[in-house]
Amino acid sequence: MTPEVEGYGCTVDELMVVAFSRAMDNDTRAFNGAVSFIPVCGYLLARRTHAPNLVWAASSVAIDANPVAIPESTLSDALWDGASMLSTSPHDFWSYASGARYNTFAFRGAQMDACGNVNNTVIGPYDKPKVRLPGGGGMADLSTMIPKIYLWNTTHNVRTFVEKLDFRSGIGWGDGGDHREKLGLPGGPQLCVTNLCVFDFHPESRRMRVASLHPGISIGDVQEATGFEVLIPDGDIPITAKPTEEELRILREEVDPTSARLREF
Amino acid sequence: MDKRASVEQLVETIPDGATIALGGLSMNSAPMAYVREIVRQEKRDLTVVAIVAGMSVDWLIAGGCVKKIVSGLVSFEGLGLAPMFRMGVQSGRVEIEEYSEDLLICRLRAQAWNLPFVPTKAGLGTDLLPLHEGTGTIRVEVDGATGEHYVACTRLPVDVALVHAHSADELGNVRVDPKLIWMDNEIVNAAERTFVSVERYVDHADVVAEPHRTTYPQFMVSGVALAEIGAYPTSCFPEYSHHTSFFKAYSAAASVPEEFETFFADRVLGPKTWDDFIKSSGGDEMIAEIRRRSA
Repeated sequence: MTPEVEGYGCTVDELMVVAFSRAMDNDTRAFNGAVSFIPVCGYLLARRTHAPNLVWAASSVAIDANPVAIPESTLSDALWDGASMLSTSPHDFWSYASGARYNTFAFRGAQMDACGNVNNTVIGPYDKPKVRLPGGGGMADLSTMIPKIYLWNTTHNVRTFVEKLDFRSGIGWGDGGDHREKLGLPGGPQLCVTNLCVFDFHPESRRMRVASLHPGISIGDVQEATGFEVLIPDGDIPITAKPTEEELRILREEVDPTSARLREF
Repeated sequence: MDKRASVEQLVETIPDGATIALGGLSMNSAPMAYVREIVRQEKRDLTVVAIVAGMSVDWLIAGGCVKKIVSGLVSFEGLGLAPMFRMGVQSGRVEIEEYSEDLLICRLRAQAWNLPFVPTKAGLGTDLLPLHEGTGTIRVEVDGATGEHYVACTRLPVDVALVHAHSADELGNVRVDPKLIWMDNEIVNAAERTFVSVERYVDHADVVAEPHRTTYPQFMVSGVALAEIGAYPTSCFPEYSHHTSFFKAYSAAASVPEEFETFFADRVLGPKTWDDFIKSSGGDEMIAEIRRRSA
């Protein structure tokens, strides 16, 4: 079980899904990779609430899928029921992605830095790793192609949010500032939803800045759990908005009745 | 020419030190019958290209067959890290040359299309580029006309591609049916030789009656072998899903080295033929379990 959110009648995983969902809109054209339970729940919830025209390709394969439940793998064919097309990687997917026809991509990693770059390759040196992780997969590709990048992390602590990555498997805002633009890459990371807060990115430095704190979490808690200096917005820091009863009901009963999302915690 | 042979016969033609490429993606459609037989025949020093893999690469490493993995990702997804891959790389026994998916696709296309390189924007700004400064296989260049950055992906030669499919005729016309081919055609197009394992054979007359269902033409295929439930424990859409309990049992055994040795020797390598392996993995009862509910 994940912790209850004070006064919200929901748990942290549910708050994360709702925060993610609300960042999506009717122009979102998304797909998902492996172990992406929070985004998959978020896309499905958004489509059933405020963004009925949202496009989602389950496992990057099954366009407009409408699964009855979310299985243990977000690349599993059990996620594809109700799809209007099964696309293939070589013929369809990479064309839609390279040309930014898909415009939204979410990824996470074992480490993230202040500019939203992600490591899923190694902990320690590449040639002599302390932990060999699965590898970046399509991160290095999609993070250069897709304009709206969303990050999430269910274990916000100083081991995951680090000043310097052991390996940059996927690019966020790169070295910050106009680095992406200089490389000719579109857009960049928009938000990072964690179990403590939601970050956005400072418009100039492109470093993580607290956009909202989850109830009961202080800015001190976030700084203590983060290995780089956390930027704070001017004025009061908002509290992450409360999910509606309808959002929670749809998430619990329709989108993810087996709570597959808890596999990420 | 009749291209049908047994899995054993086809694997016998793969020399030690070869570069093989494995089809499938993660928990789906890996050529597991060939993989198991490669381990049984104790092939050594293989370079293994697998764009996104899991159990296939893990078995080859467990069997001591691998010198180098060329891949974008190796894992069991929600069921955890691939244990022998992780331990093999951490101990330095196995080398890993990491790329991203699209960088590998572009390298395979450069090979297939006989080009010095294929350009992409994939990988720009990541550590994959400095990682390959030594190998020179991918490099950042700037287009003289537009000033745009791109990554030049050089050829990736492959000796043998191994893929799983639904059916083939005696000539080696192969159907992936429906044509959900993951990225398998990228390795088939790049490889010198391709061996396909199939769930069943069909007559050439059936292929001629419905040629739009053919995925790989016979001249691209060097050999086909029958292997029913041949992707087990990975899936073969839409016929069967991956087998969760096998992944769990495998990972559990891997947490105790002595236990794993016995598990791998008895459960995976022990049965003589692929059919024996499927029978000893639960046979019809297991098959009924993994048949897709909606299939």
